[in-house]
Parts: sequence; structure tokens; C-alpha cells
Amino acid sequence: MTVAAPAEAAALDPAGRREPSTGRLQLEALTKRFTGRAGVVTAVESVTLDVMPGEFITLLGPSGCGKTTTLRMVAGFEDATSGRILLDGKAIDNMPPQRRPMAMVFQSYALFPHMTVAENISYGLRLQRRTRADIAESMRMAVTSMNLVGLENRSPHELSGGQQQRVALARALVVQPKVLLFDEPLSNLDAKLRDAMRAEIRRIQKMFGITSIYVTHDQDEAMSMSDRIVVMNKGKVEQAATPGEIYARPASVFVADFIGRANFVETVPEGVADGRAMVTVLGRRLSVPAHPTVASGSMDAYLMVRPETVTLSPVTDGGTGMGVVLRSTFHGPSIDYEVETAGGTITVTESGKDSREALVEGTNVDVTIAPDRAYLLNRE
Amino acid sequence: MTTLLSDPGVTAPPEVIAPRRRRRLSAGLRVLVGICAVLVAIGAAVPLVAVLATAFAPDALPRYAEFFTSAVDLGILRNTLVLGALVGLFGTALGFLFAFVQTRLDVPGKKILHVIALMPIVSPPFAVATATVVLYGRRGVISNGLFGLEYDIYGLDGLVFVLSLSLFPVAYLGLLGMMRGLDPALEEAAMNMGASRWQIMRRVILPLLAPGLVAPFLLLFVEAIADLANPLVLGGDYTVLASRAYLAVTGEYDTTSAAVYCVILLVPSLAMYFGQRRWLSKKVRTTITGRPSGSIHLITGWSRWPVYGLALLAAAVIVSLYGTVIVGSVTKVFGVDNTLTFEYLEEVLFGVGVEAVLDTLTFAVIATPVAAILGLVIAWLVVRHLRRTAWLLDLGGTLGVAVPGTVLGIGFVLAYRPDRYIGDYLVFPSLVGGSAIAGGAMAIVVAYVVRSVPAGQRTAVGALTQLHPQIEQASTDLGASPMQTFRWVTLPLIRPALLTGLSYSFARSMTSMSTIVLLVTPETKIITSQVLSAASTGRYGVAFAYCTVLTVLVLAAFALIHLIVGGGVALQRTAKSERPKR
Repeated sequence: MTVAAPAEAAALDPAGRREPSTGRLQLEALTKRFTGRAGVVTAVESVTLDVMPGEFITLLGPSGCGKTTTLRMVAGFEDATSGRILLDGKAIDNMPPQRRPMAMVFQSYALFPHMTVAENISYGLRLQRRTRADIAESMRMAVTSMNLVGLENRSPHELSGGQQQRVALARALVVQPKVLLFDEPLSNLDAKLRDAMRAEIRRIQKMFGITSIYVTHDQDEAMSMSDRIVVMNKGKVEQAATPGEIYARPASVFVADFIGRANFVETVPEGVADGRAMVTVLGRRLSVPAHPTVASGSMDAYLMVRPETVTLSPVTDGGTGMGVVLRSTFHGPSIDYEVETAGGTITVTESGKDSREALVEGTNVDVTIAPDRAYLLNRE
Repeated sequence: MTTLLSDPGVTAPPEVIAPRRRRRLSAGLRVLVGICAVLVAIGAAVPLVAVLATAFAPDALPRYAEFFTSAVDLGILRNTLVLGALVGLFGTALGFLFAFVQTRLDVPGKKILHVIALMPIVSPPFAVATATVVLYGRRGVISNGLFGLEYDIYGLDGLVFVLSLSLFPVAYLGLLGMMRGLDPALEEAAMNMGASRWQIMRRVILPLLAPGLVAPFLLLFVEAIADLANPLVLGGDYTVLASRAYLAVTGEYDTTSAAVYCVILLVPSLAMYFGQRRWLSKKVRTTITGRPSGSIHLITGWSRWPVYGLALLAAAVIVSLYGTVIVGSVTKVFGVDNTLTFEYLEEVLFGVGVEAVLDTLTFAVIATPVAAILGLVIAWLVVRHLRRTAWLLDLGGTLGVAVPGTVLGIGFVLAYRPDRYIGDYLVFPSLVGGSAIAGGAMAIVVAYVVRSVPAGQRTAVGALTQLHPQIEQASTDLGASPMQTFRWVTLPLIRPALLTGLSYSFARSMTSMSTIVLLVTPETKIITSQVLSAASTGRYGVAFAYCTVLTVLVLAAFALIHLIVGGGVALQRTAKSERPKR
């Protein structure tokens, strides 16, 4: 069996922490076209990606962006139309899914309904013809680390959603795959459970140091779990970067809009140099970071301003200020304002304030943008 | 036109195309496909080709013009189609009724109803026809004796009655599996949105089952127009294509005419098959996802009683018919001289009949596992593994039912009666007729297999399309080869389909008649043909005795198969009026 060579099993140190030395996954110009009734549909177009051993990568995008198809090509359930997939430098395109050292956690969990929890988890191990003692030991570890003690003899339909999810994860983990694949595994759980499972998955993944590819359309999930996020749209990669980078320096308006909330203010950049540009926004000249493709005098530029990087101060001297509060919404930890300005309506988030401190609708305010946290982008 | 083989001026440089990447099937799968293909070719394709070759030989062509100008022949065609449509309709309705009662009503005696619903497949339709005449005919014990009616049962009405009752179990079993496989969450969702029971039925259950309702209709249509025994016994003046073709072979020794009738019978059969296939491909529903949810809610209101009553009535009729068979086998002349006697059973079990019983049993025991496993494997290959060639194997496996038994029988006679030589070497010995190897036993077993495969195949295709592919992918993903996945995941989950396949294959083999009647030789005696000869010489007691023995054997086999294979797996909870324990 190729799923886990004994040498790798031995690489587990006593703490159960594995040195992430293997599991580098490279996608080279991976493309998938389907021929349907409406002609040829390109589901995935030339996706290139280099995933480092032990890295947790999220494929993020709206439904139909090709993220699941990409994952299924990696797993071997779909053949790529062109391009290559390499695992630790070796092409695995012609390897059938059962010989790829990967394990997938499905959206529907896909637990075997005719087997107990223990049988489900040990399925992969039994296929590897491990010794009985070996299986028992791996099972004990998996059941303990996934908090499934006492449920071993239940049937899947006797478990709660969260328990089913943990069984699915345990089943994938015990075979010690080089790559773990997740297909929107948390979309069927409620919010609290989802948060707990996020932390759980991340903890387990770090503990075992397994390269992971995680597909989701939930940006929160992607931000909180990933080492790197790959934002996809219409079959193409829009940006692949760390969550911080994606949030602060989105490569496109699509990314900026899809991740978090953003205001886009039209502006004409001047003096573009060294990744910065001068813009005039709401009557103020600001030096802001700019995307490399932005050119001086461009009529296609937008300044992206995150709502929490804007400060409002009420005008006290009876003047009109730069804007008027149209609406104020109290969320608990933060307050959202919609402010009408000369540059259009912008959204502003203020946190750490009491509801009594909220600005009243109709208040004239001055608007201050933190220039270093804004980002100048080109329209699509 | 001249073709230049090499003309450097015209030939474009070969386009550089990346080699098309298609993973080939694993060695094990390729062997499986090969085995299936060979069995299908010997059992169905070759005989069919033999029939077509005869039917389109030059001397056969004028027969078509005769057929389509003759009022008698056209009447036969119309009779055949009307019979098929009515039996399909009534049989499917009856099957649905029983499946609905079984899966959705909170009523007593469901186990007994299940057994009664399966009774018709365990005995040759021929027995039902005879019992019907005895009970509901002009001098019928019930129609005349009880109600004083003089009802003429011979003709279309009698045929529809007998065939619907004889064939509906196929529809029942298919629908039962499907209704059990429906995700209860769908019904709960509808219920939750305020749909009434009736609305759920009409808007949710029926559309979900629609593909499942078309399949049995097709099956019953084709079986009805292919049936030979009943038109011979109960048809009266109502002649259909199958009986006409049979008479052409056995009475007139006119294989050309027979082949022509066969081809005309083949057209509606195959048309039905392709129509249904097209329709199914558009409406595939996947319901078992591996993520269990919801509970089945049984109907507990007053509305269950009329439905239940209807099912009970149908059950009573079935019981009366089989009761007649059993009682008729131990009375001198049932309805006339009701003295108890065991001479008929003795003749069957210890006299001249024992040979037929043993032969039939042996052939059926050999054919059953082969047919059931072949059906399951073909279904699995078709649904999960083959892409471009799937339809071909699917079609091949279904030929045993898409092609009427009479046609297949005539095909066997045409294809396998002569020894086949290449030069002086015998390459394919005669399988049919007096000089056949093993007295024609080979041909009979092959015919049993081919005729039984489609039932198992269809049930398995139905079960597989309801099984979410992710469950099998999860297994593959954990390192299981396709064969291992089939053994450890797919097979246990579609075990009810295997059970159905085995049971039905055995029953079908034991009761098969239309194909076999052309293949028996003096050395190989088959129960069904013995029944035919006993009944046609007026020895009803012997005929009933054969049927009783045959029924007992089939029921015993059912019990044995159930014991070996085991029942289905509980995939979801069933909520009844009391609270679940956990």
C-alpha cells in the first residue's frame, strides 16, 4: 500500500508531531474543461500553485469558481484536461485516486452507513493490512484526539452532526496521508460548532504537520484557518497570499470585495513611485500604497478603504464638515455608520464604543482615512 | 475517386496534441468487463442476430408486405400493444399500492402482505391462468358458484387480470427498494412547509419515484407482450404476436414467418426500452448521501384504511388463486369432486415427475448465482466505471428481458441447433435439439441466466443511482481499489438489490417457460413444460401438483437466500407514534 510507508509512520516523534518534510504539492497550469450541452465549459483555467509541506491552503471563492473541481482533480476523481499535478516532485496525474497518499473529508461526510464509528475510522488501516495491534493503537490515538471516546460502536446515523464530522476527520487522519483535502466540511454545522471545529481542524493539522487543501466559500473560515488563501473566480486564481496580505493588499477589486467589507472611492493617482501614489480624497492629499499595475493619471483607479480604518469626528463649531451620518447600526462590539460624503456614501465601523456614545443620524462629521491602511487598485 | 496515399504537398503537418489523458481501467475491471461481454454475447446477442438474419433474408421480405396488408395480422399487432399497455398500467399501480402500504402506512399484517405480494413470482403464470379459469371462469367456483355469474374470462380481460397479478411483484420489489431509499428529510421538509399527506404524495414522493414508476411499466409491458403461456391458455380468440410466432415454429415449421413475427414483436419491445432509457437519463435522483437525516413518518390517520382495504382485496384474490393451486393438487377434480387424494403429488415427487423436478432445480441452482452476480456487476460497471461503452453493456445485459422470451427461444434454435464447423473442425457444438451436448442442458442454463440477469441489473442500477458517489469515493480515497470498494462498501449498501436479484433469478428460472419450451429435449425435462403438457391433456390435478411443488421449492430457496445474504441495512430511523428510545 502506498498510503503511508512505514518509514513515515516512524517519523512521528513521541509527541505525535511530524516534521513536515514531505507533502509538497504543485499544480502546474491545471485546466479542466467539460463538454456539456451548451458547448465547452472551462471550469478551471490554468491554475498554478505551489503548496509547501505542512502548509494549510484554502481555495476560496463563490460557488462555481472551480475550487471544488480543482480539489477533485488533486484527489484524482477528475482527470485534468491539461496541466500537471506533482507530489514531492513526482507527477501523479496518472495515479488512480486510491494510490494517491491523500485523504478527503467530504461535505456530506460520506460516512459508510453500514459500519460503526470504529469500522469507519479503521477502514483505511484495514485496507493497508496493518496488524491488529497497530490498528488498535492508531484507533486509540484517533478516537482520543478527536474526542470520540465512547462512541466507537455507534452507527453514523446515531451521531450528531459535529460527531459525524469528527468521525470523517478521524477516518481521513488515521491513514497518515501526505495531503488532507477538505471539501467544505463545515458547511452543514451550526455557527458555534463551526468555530469549534475550525480550531480543532487547525490544531490537528498543525500537530500532524499534514499539507492541507481546504475548499470553502466562507471567507471567515478561510481567514481564520489558512496559512495562505487562494481566491478563485471564474476558474482562475485571482490572488494567492497570506490572509493578512489578501486583506490589506488585495490584487483586484473582486478580491477586495469578496474578502471583508470595502469602500471604493474613485480617484486619479499622481506621482506613482515605489509602490505608493498620491491621491486626493475628500479634499485631502494622501500618500497611499498602490498595486503595481496602477499608473499615474489612470482614470481606472479605485482607492479601497476598509470601514474600520476610517475615523469620524463630530463637527462641533457649527460647520458642515465633510459628511453627514445617514444611518447608524449598533452591533455590540462595533457600530456601523453610513456616511454621505462628496465622494459617495461610505461605510465606517467604529469599535469599542458604548451604544450611548453612538453618533446620532444627521450629525455632521469630519472623515479621516488612515492612508497606510488604504490601497489603490485598478478597476477590472 | 482517387485517394493519394502520400502527398507531401497536401498533408498538413500533424498537429501536436497532448496525449489524451484517460486513466485506463484496472486489470481486474477489464477482466470483469470481458467476462460480462462474452456471457451477454453467447446468451443474447448471437441468438438475436440469428433471428434478424433469418427475418431479413431475401425470402422473408414479402412476408412484411403480407403482414401490413392483412387485417388479421394487424389485429394481432394491435392486440399485443393493448395488452402490454394495460398490464403495464395495472401491474405498476398494484405494485405501487403494495409498496406504499409496506413503507408508509401504520397498519398490521405488513409482513404477511409482503409474502402474498411475492407469491406470483414463485409460480408459473400458467398456474394462475388455470386457477383463474377454475375460480372466475364461466363455471367458476367463485364467479358462478358464489355470485351466479356466467362471466367469459377468455380474452383481453382475463389476460390483463392474470398477467397483472402474475407480473406485478417486479414493480412491487423495485418500488419498495426505492421508497425505502428516499431521504425522509425531503418529506419532512414538505411536511414542515405545511404540505398535507396527499400533497406530499403528489408533489414530492411521486415525482421522486417517477423514474422508478416508468421502469416497472416498461418491464411489465415487455413481459406482457412476450408472454406465451397465458395467451395459449386464456387468450381464446385474442391472438398476440408471441403465441402466433410460437405456433409458426411448432405447428407450421415455418421459421421464416416466425422470425418475421419476432422482428415485429421486437420493435415495440426495444422501442419501450430505449424510450425509458432516454427518460431515465434525464431524471436521475440521488438520495442516499451518507449523511443520515430525518425519520420516516408512517401515516396513522383514517385515510390509511381505504388504501389498506384495497391492498387486502388484491391480496385476497392472490390467495384464492394460489389456494386453488394447492387445494387442486390434493383433490380429485377441484370444484366437482372434492375428495382428498395424494396421487398427483405422489406422481410428481416419487413417480415420473421427479426427473423434471430435479433437472429444473439443478439448472436453476446453477443459473441463479451467475445471473444475480452478473446483473450486479454489469450494473456497477455501467453506473460507476464505464463511460463511453456503458450503454452497450447495459443494453446487452437488458436484452434478456427487452427481447421477448419466444424470440430468444427461436433465436437459440436458429443459432445453436446446428454444429458449427470451420473446415472439418467442430468449433461450436450443437446446444439445442436432440443431438445437443448434455441433452440441451447448456442451452437451458444459459437461457435461464440471460432471462434472469436484467431483473438483478435493474434493481442494482436503481440502488446504485441512489447511492451517493461520494461514499464510494471516500473509500477509494482511503486506498481501496475499485474491487475492494465494491466488496466492502458498495455491496453491503446495495445488499437488498442483491437479495432481490438472487430471489428473482431463482424464481424466474424455475418458472421460465416461453424460451425454455423451445429448448427442452427428451433428456431434459423441465417442470414448466411438464405443466403445459399436463394441462393441455386435461390433467389439471397433475398440473396443480407440479405448481405446488415448484412453489414450495422457490419459497424454500427464498428463505435460504435470505439466510445467507441477510436483510437490508437500516440507513435511517423509523419514527412511529411512540417516542424513539434514544
